[in-house]
Amino acid sequence: MKDFQIEKDSRGPVQIIRLNGSLDMYSFPRLESQLNALFRSGQCLVILDCHNLDYIGSAGLGALIALAKQARELNGDIRLLNLPERIYKIIELLGFTKVLQVFDTEEAALASFQTN
Amino acid sequence: METPQQVQRRELPDGLFLEAPGHESYLAQIRTLVADLARKVGFDNQEIAQIEIAVGEACSNVIKHAYAIDKEWSWRQRDPQIRLHVRSENDRLVIEINDHGQRFDFGSYHPAEIDHRLRDMNPGGYGIAIIRRFMDEVQYSSNDQTGNTLRMVKYLKKS
Repeated sequence: MKDFQIEKDSRGPVQIIRLNGSLDMYSFPRLESQLNALFRSGQCLVILDCHNLDYIGSAGLGALIALAKQARELNGDIRLLNLPERIYKIIELLGFTKVLQVFDTEEAALASFQTN
Repeated sequence: METPQQVQRRELPDGLFLEAPGHESYLAQIRTLVADLARKVGFDNQEIAQIEIAVGEACSNVIKHAYAIDKEWSWRQRDPQIRLHVRSENDRLVIEINDHGQRFDFGSYHPAEIDHRLRDMNPGGYGIAIIRRFMDEVQYSSNDQTGNTLRMVKYLKKS
């Protein structure tokens, strides 16, 4: 069981946030505050790399919805990258993949911002 | 941020009894212990992920609602603990989550469908819908002696 950790990276105007551990009621405020700080500085194109994400609960999913909504209002968006299969299947079954775009490669996620 | 201590655990002949303070810092430990038992019982990875999220949602609701600090609850003199009895019964896993916080009118609570909430980009209100989606049976009971208990059952698929 890992502590939730966030690492930041960037590719031009796109911010890449790598998530490690569990995104739940305990940890989601840390992600919210990081992304809110990015949005305040005008950086609204965000890729969340979920390769090392162990778990996401409704608090985490709800936070992603709220953050994606905020980003879109600022002409940006959030993309999910490298979701582990077990997490992808859960969020797909629940319907979250209809409103949050998911990509398997960083290149594809980056390209999706250029085509919008 | 509170540093989590160990969840109290007791092995039972048919499963596991867990007890932890009603604080979100204990959620990951609780989910992991229940997931480990579900794996031993024979659920596959996808079913374990479903059980894990249902338990996470149920315990989060206890912390967020039953033990909400801005609400009065009938058993205020007691510590706000969460107790889980997780056991294997033949072809199913039974999970009972008990608290002594504010009772909830579970039967009358029918949140909007997940799809509708997502269409409106609604950030909350998914927890109970997730529990109902992923568990085969869900019952809630409450009384003054034993507190509130959410009973969830997941059946093993017949091979």
